[in-house]
Amino acid sequence: MPRQHKFSLAGAIMKIRLREPTIAFLFLLPAFIGVIVFYYYQIVQTGIYSLHNLQHTADWQTQPFVWFKNYATVFRSTYFWQSLRFTVYFTVMATALELAVGLGMAMATFWVSRWLGGILRAIIVMPWVIPPIINAMIWRWLFHADVGLFGYILVSLGLADKPPLFLTEPVLAVHSVIFADVWKNSSIMAIFLLGGLAAIPADIYDAAKVDGARSWFRFRKVTLPMLLPTILVALLFRGIDALRTFDLIYGLTGGGPGTVTETLSSFAYKYYFTYGKFGLGSAYAIVVFAIIVGLAVIYLSRIRRNLRFKE
Amino acid sequence: MSVKLSHRYRNQATYLMQTVVTIAIAVFCLTPMFYILSTSLKPRGAEYMIPLELWPSKPTLQAYRAVLGIVEEAELESETKGSMVLPADQARIVKSLNFITPLRNSLIVSTSVAALSLLISSLSAYAIARLRFKYKIQSLIFLQLGAMIPIAVTIAPTFMLMRSLGLLRTLLAMIIPNIFYNVPMSTWLIACYFAELPFDLEDAAKMDGYKPIQIFRKVIIPLAAPGLFSAGVFAFLGSWGEFMLASAVSMGIPAVQTVPAAMLNFSVQFRYEWTWISAAIILSVALVAFMTLVFQRWVIRGLTAGAVKY
Repeated sequence: MPRQHKFSLAGAIMKIRLREPTIAFLFLLPAFIGVIVFYYYQIVQTGIYSLHNLQHTADWQTQPFVWFKNYATVFRSTYFWQSLRFTVYFTVMATALELAVGLGMAMATFWVSRWLGGILRAIIVMPWVIPPIINAMIWRWLFHADVGLFGYILVSLGLADKPPLFLTEPVLAVHSVIFADVWKNSSIMAIFLLGGLAAIPADIYDAAKVDGARSWFRFRKVTLPMLLPTILVALLFRGIDALRTFDLIYGLTGGGPGTVTETLSSFAYKYYFTYGKFGLGSAYAIVVFAIIVGLAVIYLSRIRRNLRFKE
Repeated sequence: MSVKLSHRYRNQATYLMQTVVTIAIAVFCLTPMFYILSTSLKPRGAEYMIPLELWPSKPTLQAYRAVLGIVEEAELESETKGSMVLPADQARIVKSLNFITPLRNSLIVSTSVAALSLLISSLSAYAIARLRFKYKIQSLIFLQLGAMIPIAVTIAPTFMLMRSLGLLRTLLAMIIPNIFYNVPMSTWLIACYFAELPFDLEDAAKMDGYKPIQIFRKVIIPLAAPGLFSAGVFAFLGSWGEFMLASAVSMGIPAVQTVPAAMLNFSVQFRYEWTWISAAIILSVALVAFMTLVFQRWVIRGLTAGAVKY
């Protein structure tokens, strides 16, 4: 009697001998498909939308093709330049302050005794955990015009006669938004820098100590240069994120007062879902993308240098 | 003797300084959440009383009960006494709050996103970190560059795509895109972890007659568990807080809103009820904060491993 061969798919697959590049290709396939569908294809689509006079619910094929009219509208509007200015100012200020605060927190965590350091680590991750839109809510309450904690503290310390209008006075609003962002994102900066600090070999410090280097000198001549690559990457990482800030603005000021704190992303969103002008919003979005690609290329060429994966 | 003494004083001074610095950082990081917690424990209306109380003299869970839609008759009677609002109306409003639904939705979305993005990105990370093939760096950069694209850019076509798939107003419309929003970062974090395992592992496993899939499943994955874990937490947090897509595809339907979208609606609808909003904030953050605190060591280790590699 001939032996019965029972066919099993799993068995058959296991029997196929694959070369390593083929396996790699198969392993990468799901990630690639997803990223293409949800990022690259979407960019192309947004690009196409931006050339049409597209209204909310319509299919782009049925809408008039308007060449670069949407871009012309964008570049001609003073709102665009204002929001570009704000976005850049916000990004530069927030990232710089986050670096300063994050570096301070990371250095402190490294400097204090072991168990205090453990506590600090747990405390420092907390603001990072809070979702951006929730962060916006939190600061809306703390910056409340009448009973906000911040204004109250200022008044009780005698620094102000009445609570400042944190979110409705233009200059203050801009800086309140920056402050709220710094509060949340200094954490992630500190976490990154902690990693960088931990990677500095201890004997370099010891050598500097033996040479009698003062702590400020040690910081400037040893820690900072060794930390520089991590700092650069952390700055780029945060900068790219800050350029596309949306949630915080949407939840905290709604772009107000007027349009003072409107970022490019929040403008794009407004055009989409408030005014239903998908075409114009897409043009905004493409401009945001163009700006970010510039930074992203620097960032990627930076991280590429240190890749130590099996070649 | 005197040298020793001064040394001891210096140590004490250092210790004092360290404690002061720790407290200063704690105050900076925790005050906002502390004040929100305190507001959430105040009785309704007390949040507007001057002088502000840093901690309520009579803490109450009233706000939490309201936000979760649990309400008692007697409470309604006393609350509505002297106001225009009828107890029945008040009951209807409170019943309609029901913050449990968004919490449940978020839990479903974030868990699925974390699990599936982990599955997909551990495969791609394995290929990038441990397999030999051409265009490796290019593949990694292709993935990473994707992740730089702001959601504001992709939201309109993604919305259209979900509409044509008939997925609007469902949780799937949030789950599927969010998986891939997290894949590039997860791939990076996991790949950094994989790269640290010794390369003879595969050779040894091959000698024992393991097939590539088996090597991946039985050798590499168990060894890289901490890295996978931190990537999972990262994806969970990311999708827990994702707002733009969630608010666009849920289209204001409470039954399919996740926490961030519901939170915004809530704060618009009850813009003056800050005890309620605060309670909702605490409920939205409690789970993720607890999770991060418990697994804090792994999360930080995983994140810094990625950062150091840069």
